[in-house]
Amino acid sequence: MQFTSEASEHLVCAVLAAQVAELRDRIDGSATVELLWRTSEVLMQLSDLVRELATRCHDSELQAQCTTVVAAEAEVSRSIESLAFEQAQRNDFTCQTVDCVVTALERLAVTDGPVGNRISPDELAALYVSEEQRKVHDAATRRFVIGVSPAPTGGDCHGDERPGG
Amino acid sequence: MPSILVLDDSATMVMSLSRVLKKAGYDVETAGNGQEGMSKLAAGLKPSAILTDLNMPQMDGIAFIKEARKSASTRFTPIIVLTTESGGQKRDEARVAGASAWLTKPTEPNELLSTLKQLLPK
Repeated sequence: MQFTSEASEHLVCAVLAAQVAELRDRIDGSATVELLWRTSEVLMQLSDLVRELATRCHDSELQAQCTTVVAAEAEVSRSIESLAFEQAQRNDFTCQTVDCVVTALERLAVTDGPVGNRISPDELAALYVSEEQRKVHDAATRRFVIGVSPAPTGGDCHGDERPGG
Repeated sequence: MPSILVLDDSATMVMSLSRVLKKAGYDVETAGNGQEGMSKLAAGLKPSAILTDLNMPQMDGIAFIKEARKSASTRFTPIIVLTTESGGQKRDEARVAGASAWLTKPTEPNELLSTLKQLLPK
């Protein structure tokens, strides 16, 4: 298929948006979180059984071992629950970050708007959901400004690399 | 038993928060965005506290807090913001809107529960 160079760039953006959206669905870690919860529940059930075993047996050494195992299970289960909670939040953060990229690429893929009006750096920044994204944006903007700045002439001072605004 | 209304557009986050809160002995109601949360409040839900995300479709967390503060039944209900946002500007917006506390994801279950405990009436 032949496209004009502009249509070709729109197509690239549309394809990238679709690919990143696909990637977002793959990195959704909800299955991991659910597995961690299930693991925690099974451990608790096993712990209940061990506790029951301790009440029924008359071997003091085995009872002591059961007590140790029950205490260890409680600690491990707490850690697993905490890990699952953290994983769910990190997953949410990642998906929201990737959503911004998908939205920006979809805007760039729109064919009925004039070039340069599809999404501006400020509109991109308005999509952000975290301070981390803004820091990356600022760092990338600084690098870009340095990259497109005219070569320094004699006597110019470039001590401050921050772009205006 | 105190009840908590949880608002988040991520199903996994809603399940995770519900799990942590239920294990700590709270009743939990959930909503996927601010609009759904407001509908539940309008239908008579009177939570002891509200836990809300900021970035949600249809009605975001800040708009939800503003609406909730207009209602007599939730004017003084503790509202905790739990969000990926850590920026000072958003935090100020949330405070002005009426948020009682702010937690940045990822937070730990203990931090969430101790914040809730501090805000709920003794």
